[in-house]
Amino acid sequence: MKRLGFFILFLTQFAFAQVKFEADVSKNSLGINERVRIEFSMNEDGDNFNPPNFEACGFRVVGGPSQSISQSWINGRSTFQKAYTYILLPLQKGNLVIKQATIEINGQIYKTLPLKMTVGNAVQMEQERNPNEAPVVNVDNNLYLVADISKANPYVNEATTVIYKLYFSNNIGISNFKEVNKPKYNDFWSQNIEIKKLEAQQGIFKGQQFRYVILKKVVLYPQKSGKLELEPLSLDIDVQIPVGRPNIFGQYQMGEDTKRVSAGSKIIAVKPLPESGKPDDFSGAVGNFDFKVNASRTNLKSGESLDLTVSVSGAGNLKLFTLPKPAVPSSLEIYEPEHKENIQVPLSGMNGSVSDKYTIIPNEKGNFPIKGLRFSYFDLSSKTYKTITSNDLMITATQGDATLVNNQKATNKVAVATSKTFAFVKQKTNLVVRNQPDFLGSGLFYSLLGLPFLLIPCLILFRRRKEALDADFIGNRIKKSNALAKKYLSEAKKQINNKEPFYIALEKAMHNFLKAKLNIETSEMSKDKISQLLLNKNCNQLIVNDFITLTESCELARYAPSSTVTIQNDYEKAVEIISELEKQIK
Amino acid sequence: MKNILFIILLLTYNARATDIKNDFQSANQLYQSGKYEQAIKMYEAAADNNQLESAELYFNLGNCYYKLHKVAPAIYNYEKAKQLAPDDTEIETNLDFARKMAIDDIKIIPKVGFGKILQDFTSSFHFDTWAWISIVFAALFFLFFVGYYFSATSFKKRSYFVGMIVMIIGVFIGLFSAYFEKNRLQNENPAIVFAEVIVVKSEPKNASQDAFTLHEGAKVQIIDSVANWKKIQLADETTGWIDEKAIKSLRD
Repeated sequence: MKRLGFFILFLTQFAFAQVKFEADVSKNSLGINERVRIEFSMNEDGDNFNPPNFEACGFRVVGGPSQSISQSWINGRSTFQKAYTYILLPLQKGNLVIKQATIEINGQIYKTLPLKMTVGNAVQMEQERNPNEAPVVNVDNNLYLVADISKANPYVNEATTVIYKLYFSNNIGISNFKEVNKPKYNDFWSQNIEIKKLEAQQGIFKGQQFRYVILKKVVLYPQKSGKLELEPLSLDIDVQIPVGRPNIFGQYQMGEDTKRVSAGSKIIAVKPLPESGKPDDFSGAVGNFDFKVNASRTNLKSGESLDLTVSVSGAGNLKLFTLPKPAVPSSLEIYEPEHKENIQVPLSGMNGSVSDKYTIIPNEKGNFPIKGLRFSYFDLSSKTYKTITSNDLMITATQGDATLVNNQKATNKVAVATSKTFAFVKQKTNLVVRNQPDFLGSGLFYSLLGLPFLLIPCLILFRRRKEALDADFIGNRIKKSNALAKKYLSEAKKQINNKEPFYIALEKAMHNFLKAKLNIETSEMSKDKISQLLLNKNCNQLIVNDFITLTESCELARYAPSSTVTIQNDYEKAVEIISELEKQIK
Repeated sequence: MKNILFIILLLTYNARATDIKNDFQSANQLYQSGKYEQAIKMYEAAADNNQLESAELYFNLGNCYYKLHKVAPAIYNYEKAKQLAPDDTEIETNLDFARKMAIDDIKIIPKVGFGKILQDFTSSFHFDTWAWISIVFAALFFLFFVGYYFSATSFKKRSYFVGMIVMIIGVFIGLFSAYFEKNRLQNENPAIVFAEVIVVKSEPKNASQDAFTLHEGAKVQIIDSVANWKKIQLADETTGWIDEKAIKSLRD
C-alpha cells in the first residue's frame, strides 16, 4: 500500500513537476544578540501563506516579511521561485523551534518542516548588518558597551568591581535602552550598586572623543579560584542616527534604529588563598578586620542574664563568613544569637560590622570561664593570615533567686546545694607511697586467711592427745607421785638442819617414790608388801632391805635424838637407794 | 652493718617525712595568700616526684588549679582524690564546682538491675579492706569452732555451729567482694581530656570521620587502644577514638 502511494507520487511529479515549499534559515545556531533570516520558498505560486507564530516560538520579527518572485525561462522551461523572507531576533536563550508555515498551492495545503534553532550567549559581533538603508554614520563605530573590571586577578573573596559603560559618539543619540540579557554572576557573590541617575560624561575612547554613561556597577566577590567567566551584558539600544542626505542647512535627518550591543565576556583569573600558614579555624574572612568579644557584665546572680557580643568590624567580605561561636560551660544556658549586620557596599567593597549577640544565663552559682575566641582572616595588604584572639572572660555567678529553679536546664550536673560552698584546702595529710602492692592476693593475705583453717586440725590433734593423756589414769598417778617424791626429797635437803621436818619430808619422798614405782596406795603400804613387790620387780635384796631399814629409821629418828652427821648420812643414803631402785625397777 | 644501714635509712626517711610535712604546710600557706602557682609547685615537692600521694594532696592541688581556672587539671586532681577517699563530701563538692567549668554536658545513662546493686555493695569498701574483712571473719570462724569443739552441751554446740556457718559465709562474701571490686577497678580506666578542644574520630585514623567533639575536663573511659589512639566511651555510652596525647589516664 505504501509502495503504491509512493508510485502515484512519482507519477504526479512527472505530470506537474514537484511542488516545493521549504523553510530555510541563514544559520541554525546563533547568539542572543544576533539576527537570523528565515526564507519560505516555493516553486509554485500559492495563496493563503500562513507564517508560523514567531513570538510564540521565541522570536521577534524585526524585518519583513519581504516577498520576492523570480521567473525564468531557460531552454523553454520556465522556473518559478517565490519567497517570503523574515529577519528574526531571538527573545530567549535555549533550543527553540520555529514551527511550520502553511500555504495553499493548487488547492493543496503544503507545510514546511519545523526548524530547530539553538540560541546561545550573546556574541560580539564584528559586523552588524543593518537591514535599513545605509546610514551616513555607521552605528558600529559609534556605540560601544565596555565592561571595566577593577581587578582581573583577585584572591578568592577579594572584592572586584565591574563597571559597564556605554560609549557613544557625539553624532548619535540614544533614546532608550533595555537589558536583554542580565548576566548571572555564577561563582560570585555580587551586589549591584544602583545608579539613580544616568549622566553622560565626556571621555576618550579609542583615541576619540566619546560620551559615556555608566549603566551598571557591580561588586563581585569570587567564591572559588580558577578562571571564572563573566557573562556578557546585552543591551537593546534605540539609537538616533543621521540618515540620508543633509538638508540644505547641512542638518541630517535623524532616523531611529535599534541596536543590540554586548560587553564581551570577560575572564577573571581568581587566585586561591595561600595554603601555607592557613589557620585551622579560618572561616573565609578576607580583608582587614577588628575582632571583639564583650560581655555586658561578668558579675551576676544565677538566673540573671548577660549579653555576650561577638563582633567583627572592618572592610572585607563581611557577609560571607561566619563568626566564631563561643564555647561555654554547660551550666551556662546560652541562647541562639541575634545576628546584626551594619554593612555598606560602596564600589570599594563591603565595610561595616557584623555581630552576634548571645544571651547567657548562669543556672548555678560558681565561676564559669569563657575561653577567648579566635578569629582568623586573610589580610590583603600584607597577604598573610592574621589571627585575633579575644581575652578569656570569667563569669562569676553568685547565689540567685531560688524562684528561678524552674528555669533550669536539665543537666547531669549534680546541683550544688545552697549550703555547699567551695571547700578550703585540707590542712592535714598522711602521705603514703604511691602504687603500693595490693594486700589482696599477697602472701601475707593468703597466710592470714589460711591460718585459722590450718589451726583447726592442730586444735583437733592437740585435744585428742590431751584426752589420751587424761585417759591414762595410772600413768598420771605415777607421774604425780614421782613428782612428789622429787619435791619432798628436795624439801628434805632444805630441812637438813631441822631434824623433824627433814625426816617427815624424807619419809614422804620415799612413800611417793614407792607410789610412783610400785603403783600402790598409801593405805596398802606395809613393809612386807613393799619388800615383796620390790623383789617381784627384780630388785636387789640388799637394796630392798636398805630401803626398809631407811623407812624404819625415818620413823624412829623423828622421835630419837640424832646428830647432824646421821641426818646427812640418811639423806645421802636415801638418794643412793632411790637412784639405785630407779635403775633396777624398769 | 645491715642494721646500721637500716637505721640510717630510717633516720633519713624520718627527716624527709618532716620535710614533706613542712612542704605541705607551706604550700597551704601559699594557697591562703593566693599564690596558687607557687603552691602547686610546693605541693608537688611534697609529693616527692610523684612518689607519695594522699587524697588531701590531690584535693589541695585541685583547689589550686580551680582557682587558676585550669579546668582539666582541677578535675583530674579531684578525681584522683576521690579515688583515694570516695566518701569525702568536700571532694565531691569541689569536684562539682570544677565540673561546672567544663563545657561538655554528658548525660549519664543510669545503670539498673542486679549488677548495679552488686556494684553498689562491693564498692562500699576498697578491695584491700574487703580482704581484711574476710580475714577477720576467718579468725572469728576459728574462735567459733573452738567454742563449738570444746563446749559440752548440745545447745551451746548448736549455737556455736550456727555462728561458724555465719562466719564462713562472711568469709566468702568478703572474698567475693574483694575480687569483684578488684576486677571492676582493673576494668575501669577513666581518663580526663586535657586538650582544649579535640575532635573524636570514628576510627583510629586522622583521615577518618569526625564522631564528636570534646572539650577539656570531660571524663572518659578508656576501653581499647591501637598504636597512639585510645578508644573511649562517654557516660552516655557513645564511643570514639581519640589521640592519646589529648587525654590523661587517672591510673597514672
